[in-house]
Amino acid sequence: MRVSGRDGRAGQDVLRRVGEASVLILISLADGPKHGYALIQDIKELADVELGPGTLYGALDRLERLNLIESLPADDRRHPYRITAPGAAALRVHLDSLERVSAAGRLRLRLGGI
Amino acid sequence: MAEPRAIRLVERALRCYPARWRRRHGDEAAELAALLIGDGASAGSIALSYLVGAAREWLTPRPGLRLGAATGALLIVACSLGVSAALLASSAPARAALTPTRDRGASTGQAHGRTHCRAVSDQAVPGVIRSMGQLPVIIWEAGHERSC
Repeated sequence: MRVSGRDGRAGQDVLRRVGEASVLILISLADGPKHGYALIQDIKELADVELGPGTLYGALDRLERLNLIESLPADDRRHPYRITAPGAAALRVHLDSLERVSAAGRLRLRLGGI
Repeated sequence: MAEPRAIRLVERALRCYPARWRRRHGDEAAELAALLIGDGASAGSIALSYLVGAAREWLTPRPGLRLGAATGALLIVACSLGVSAALLASSAPARAALTPTRDRGASTGQAHGRTHCRAVSDQAVPGVIRSMGQLPVIIWEAGHERSC
């Protein structure tokens, strides 16, 4: 992954345009493999977002095409998914970027006295 | 356990997906829907979510198709370049005729440094227009010809 950014810490943020559902899926998979139902439950718990099953499969396919997650052998009829090394790196870059924007936003709110 | 009617509704929505998607996710998606309905989710909203997903799946270009589209785009660009080159070649005499003649204009003080403007007699240049294959756009201005 290409390294860019002003301070040299940030790589290319490939998750900028994949949508919120894909980012939430990657965050959910960051602590271990999960199948569809477990992903929906976990995302509801961690972000209070109810992913529709159609949205879930669309995002899973997109992330798999980008090589950010991989499908593990089916357990019964359920396919668990696992985050890949490039997926973890992309998630880290994206979260760093969100953190910087968040910090800048908080600072400006403080400076503005709001 | 989910009602048979709810299951049928979801199955109908799942049938809208492309066959390759159904082969890959079909069974799991039906099971996931049954679990969600069992948790209290409405079958209608699940079916709607699958319908939207199916529409998106049909509209998303596949990698193979993307390659085909790229090849098509390259062919179009190559054809356009070929046509442009042919047009340029055929307009070479026109360019020669339109070469700026500042010296002539400068001596009369009428050229004003415009490179596409030259002092000529009150006659169009038929050879130029024919070779460019365009309708003439000529503004006659105090003995100047401006073809733009």
